[in-house]
Amino acid sequence: MADVANGVALALDGGGGSYALSALLAQDDRVALAAIRVLGADVLAPYALGRAAGGGPDGQSAGGPDGQLVRRALAAYPPGADASDVSRWSYQGLAEATRAFLPDEGTSGYSGTEPAGGGANPADGQPYADRFSYSLSPENAGPAGSPNPANPASPAGSAADAWLRDAPWPKLSHRASQLAALALPGLAPALAAGLAARTEDLARGFVRAVRRRDWLQAAGVGRWLVRAPDVPDSLGLEAGMVYVRRMSGGDPRVALHALAARRFPGGGSR
Amino acid sequence: MSRGRSAGSRAAPPADTALLDDVAAGALRWLDAMRPHFRLPADVTTDADPNLTLKPLGELAELAQVIHTLHPLAPLRDAAAELFAFAWKETRDGELFAELVRGEPVATYPVELYGVFARVGLRHPGAEELIEATTALRRWRVAREDHTRTLGVLNAELRIGLPPHADAADVLAHTGLGMRSEPWALDRKAAYGITHDVFHLTDWGRAPGRLPDRLADYLRLWLPAWTVSWAEERLWDLVGEFLAVAACLPGAPYDAAGWAEFAAARGAGDAVPESGEPPGPDATPGERFTACYHSTLVAAFAATLARAAVGRSGAGGPAPTSIAGAARGGGPAAMTTLTGSEKSP
Repeated sequence: MADVANGVALALDGGGGSYALSALLAQDDRVALAAIRVLGADVLAPYALGRAAGGGPDGQSAGGPDGQLVRRALAAYPPGADASDVSRWSYQGLAEATRAFLPDEGTSGYSGTEPAGGGANPADGQPYADRFSYSLSPENAGPAGSPNPANPASPAGSAADAWLRDAPWPKLSHRASQLAALALPGLAPALAAGLAARTEDLARGFVRAVRRRDWLQAAGVGRWLVRAPDVPDSLGLEAGMVYVRRMSGGDPRVALHALAARRFPGGGSR
Repeated sequence: MSRGRSAGSRAAPPADTALLDDVAAGALRWLDAMRPHFRLPADVTTDADPNLTLKPLGELAELAQVIHTLHPLAPLRDAAAELFAFAWKETRDGELFAELVRGEPVATYPVELYGVFARVGLRHPGAEELIEATTALRRWRVAREDHTRTLGVLNAELRIGLPPHADAADVLAHTGLGMRSEPWALDRKAAYGITHDVFHLTDWGRAPGRLPDRLADYLRLWLPAWTVSWAEERLWDLVGEFLAVAACLPGAPYDAAGWAEFAAARGAGDAVPESGEPPGPDATPGERFTACYHSTLVAAFAATLARAAVGRSGAGGPAPTSIAGAARGGGPAAMTTLTGSEKSP
């Protein structure tokens, strides 16, 4: 996994021009496929560069090597009925990133096994951003078609996404960090909006994570914070992300988050 | 994370006054019972370790005076007044300070301690003559390593009526609070620095309006994170100091989970351990005193500021249920016990 994270981080650092996930690992290596599942949407983060600011890897499509590889990973490690929320989110995030960043050539998309409890169905015709469900508990994990669940203003989404509004800030920050791979342009706008409504709480989570020397959590929370409006300037977020990356002692997943935060900023500070 | 913490930046819950009164009353009871350990030894100005003698007594005087001034309940105010009078008596009506200044003419602590009493008119002419002579020196104005401490010296000068030896705003600007340190970069020492920046600046919570808005907002933002973070480390005196600082902010945001956790850290006799668990049954009274005196004083102080803020802001009030208070026999019952334990002067 460190190799894949390193590869993504290098691509983000360098602009992503020659990035190819498939070049980072052997396709039949189950460990490599597992790494893709764990890193989730981030394995395709370099493709988002092209959408964000020009650049990014030369176009690959869903049918290309990277698309095939991701489909293998999705098929090899579908979240089971008793999967953790994070596993389900990560799965969905990776599936959505494939749709978002590797354009479909008009085929039926990937043919991986549908997971129990609501995997994304690329053929159902809905915009990818609206088919996400970030529920905290399995019983809240709606079918793939849950209507706009991460929008607090949407009554239909109130049950599944109560945590976005109500979770105490330490828990909110922990969850947000676990979902940091979804902090890519256009990938989960409703989630981003829900978190942006709790910027101060996320900022407190960043403080707590750094104090605990939980560099991975801090970097993940920081990724959401760089996109949020009204980040308190006394947080010192930019210096904090540099600090976290250097203090982590070269952890490639921390580096990936830190570089992604630099590549995909947004919002502003006050 | 198993804590039932509210969603942070939303409206603060009302203060649990029963819990606050239970914490303050219990702490004062324990402190009163510990009077023998606050007494100064005969060698206080020579061989004794000031950290075990003058420091505890000075803290007792400082915080008891605040409680006497600010607590809305008369029995608690009275108990605090007696502790304050006890501390003054231990200084032999101020003669101690003359001896301390003669021994260490440029040390700041005798002046800081004397200021606690001079503030309310308890003065000693001999000590004051010496202090006027030493604090007029250029030597007194040499910058100190610790700007937080300098804020304390400035407050003492104000209390005694001496000219300030430095510009308070300038000194504040160089502290951890004035600098608005990155909130994630605080270590333990820096955290104590920030709480004491607030205490010196606000005259220990008596003048919360002296906190500039910009710094109050900084504290409002980050206190919740610090309180949780140091509660996880079980450093209870610092948690108590953060709760006290919160009570100095506009609107005095009440941290219900922080208070519940702090109150639950109390051990036998309502003493609050400085860190970790309360002293075990084998601990000697002296060991209990050392382990708990500071944090228990902070508990009484913080509970007083939070309680006084309820009246100040017009907000708050008893929570519908107070399990901690009820289980501990808090509220009026606790005060009766406290009053009953007080001896007539």
